[in-house]
Amino acid sequence: MNAGHEQQPPQPGPYPGPHHGAQPPQPGMQPHLAPPADPVPGAHAAPMQASPYPADQAFEPGGGLPWSHISRRFTWHRGLMATLTGVPVGLIGAFVVFRGVGTIGMVLWGATVLLGVVVAWIVAELAYRSYGYAERTDDLIVTQGVFVKRLIVVPYGRMQFVDVTAGLLERWMGIATVRMHTAAAATDAEIPGLPAAEAAQLRDRLAQKGEERSMGL
Amino acid sequence: MTGPYYGSSGGQPPYGPYGPYGPRPPYGPYGPRPPGPPYPGRPPYGPGPYGPPQPPYGQPPYGYRPAPPPVRFSEGTHRLHPVTAILRAFTILVVYFVLLGFPLLLTQTEEGIALILSPEVIARFLIVSVPFFVLAVVAGLWGWLALRFHVDGDEDDLVVETGLLRKRKRRIPLSRVQAIDVVRPLMTRMFALAEVRVELAGGAQSEISLRYLGRHAAQQLRAELLARAAGLPGHTPEAPERPIWRVPFGALLGSLVLKLPVLGTGLLFVFSLIFLFSFLEGGMLVVLVLTLLGLIRGVIAPLVMYANFTVAMSPDGVRLRYGLLETRMQTLPPGRVQAVGLVQPLLWRAFGWVRMDVTVAGYAGERQALSSVLLPLAPRHVAVYLTSQIFPGANVDAVPLLPASSRAASAARGDGAGTDDVIFVVRRGLFCRRTDVIAHARAQSVRLTMNPLQRLLKRATVHVDAPPGPVQVSAAGRDLGEARAIVESTAGRALAARRTSGDPGRWAAR
Repeated sequence: MNAGHEQQPPQPGPYPGPHHGAQPPQPGMQPHLAPPADPVPGAHAAPMQASPYPADQAFEPGGGLPWSHISRRFTWHRGLMATLTGVPVGLIGAFVVFRGVGTIGMVLWGATVLLGVVVAWIVAELAYRSYGYAERTDDLIVTQGVFVKRLIVVPYGRMQFVDVTAGLLERWMGIATVRMHTAAAATDAEIPGLPAAEAAQLRDRLAQKGEERSMGL
Repeated sequence: MTGPYYGSSGGQPPYGPYGPYGPRPPYGPYGPRPPGPPYPGRPPYGPGPYGPPQPPYGQPPYGYRPAPPPVRFSEGTHRLHPVTAILRAFTILVVYFVLLGFPLLLTQTEEGIALILSPEVIARFLIVSVPFFVLAVVAGLWGWLALRFHVDGDEDDLVVETGLLRKRKRRIPLSRVQAIDVVRPLMTRMFALAEVRVELAGGAQSEISLRYLGRHAAQQLRAELLARAAGLPGHTPEAPERPIWRVPFGALLGSLVLKLPVLGTGLLFVFSLIFLFSFLEGGMLVVLVLTLLGLIRGVIAPLVMYANFTVAMSPDGVRLRYGLLETRMQTLPPGRVQAVGLVQPLLWRAFGWVRMDVTVAGYAGERQALSSVLLPLAPRHVAVYLTSQIFPGANVDAVPLLPASSRAASAARGDGAGTDDVIFVVRRGLFCRRTDVIAHARAQSVRLTMNPLQRLLKRATVHVDAPPGPVQVSAAGRDLGEARAIVESTAGRALAARRTSGDPGRWAAR
């Protein structure tokens, strides 16, 4: 699955432009990782616009890799959770509103809760579509987010630990959440809704790759 | 052997201390040696005139006593300084006296509560106080006896044992040490005591605090821990240091005052003072107190905290010394600084002043606020130089910064981001300008985020993640494709930098 890194067509371009010659490229660097040699002088007039990444490819894994998607059951889990919260809230709230305001209030309340549950289902479906992950040669790349779209690149060597969690409902549905922890709290990379066996395999693979490339802090 | 009384500059003096014609000293190396076997019947260096070497100058003046013999922390177990027990007992007694003891001395009379030292009152006080005194002494002694520590030389671990009945042993691998602080609060400075804090990258509960050790013992322990963390033998003397910058007190005071929020608060303070006295308006008192508190927090507290700030570089990393009442000595080993930020408030830019913030993985929670400043004030070139020392091979000013594209919502002209092989630099801020620097070798992960507004504008934000701290590096408002290119190139450079730099532990043995 990691085959495509070398033939990755859109290699990152000369960001941020020419080096000032003060720092020669370090000797131990892999050739395909070394930033490109200094472009012709003056080429940095519009360096960023000539970026090799097309804007619509910005949230793609790159290198011809496909996103691995999460299980369909993720939507069901999110939706069921919303429904299971919505039903008692709707019933108890309806009773309280009925005693306080009357029938109209009760109907309005019920409609609001129903709308909330429907929105939650829609968001769950969108979230399901937004999630994707790909194991590249040296890092795991995860995309997620319905409102704020994120793309997280976590190097294997930086993973402090990887854990798999599954709630009661998740266990019953046979799915689990894989969470990657680095020393930075901002790296909130998690892949929910993976089939349990796949989650365990992914965790083991990540742990093994992390072990091979571990770098301390 | 040259004359110890005259220094050793001239080699063998031609004549003795009394001049060429004065009486010869009964013994002594001066003058021509008498013929014959030297000092017959005596071992040449046995007990006698040359006896065991003794300091010839008598007691040295106060303050120049030679350091006590070195303590080997890797041999045997060690305890805190015995005065710790007294201090702890004293603290307990003070709390007791304030809460319980003093009220016992008071008697209720018709006029109210009064302090009458009648025999029965004193008896009552003593009956309660004596057991408390014994209790406090026992508690102090217990605490002192319960904590033992030593350095495990084979494993390079610091081992701290606590408890007398239920023993708890904690091993701290020294290769994981993020920083070592020697803190001397005001109270303990009178007793020449110091606290040694070892920071580990494990969150709020992970620091080891040994309070209190003797001052020399604390410095020796720090030297030994650092030497072992560096991969050297434990008895290696403390590495020499090269001073880089000392913050003058006046400049520090000026820099703290010359900030727009502080000036505004000061103005408000003066106005409320005038209002209070000219109109006798009671409501102004609230404003007065609030502004005063703000000024204390914004000026006095940092002034006391960062007074006498010195920065030095040593092979063991950056050494910081600061504090007026509570002095701190921090050592940040190489590779433990995760990110630095050069902060320039608006008014400081006229003077070219910079404050340097720092993210270190060890300091979490409350201690993070205490240890977030690497340099409270310095000229910009000093800050840039210090950055190049912390991240070897980095030159912040040489990194070309590219502005975000013009359509983006960034208002400041100086905003931009750039990278070279060593560091990733982001500059932002219209009034208070920040330059955040993270080394590729220290980056934890790279993120690309796009909020709904940015989605409309086809913009994105690139984050280069560091452990939690005051410096978080993110470049906002980049073109979508460019942002992704930055992410990829940063990930690649981070990988290359990690491969070349390796694990930051055992930095001297590499």
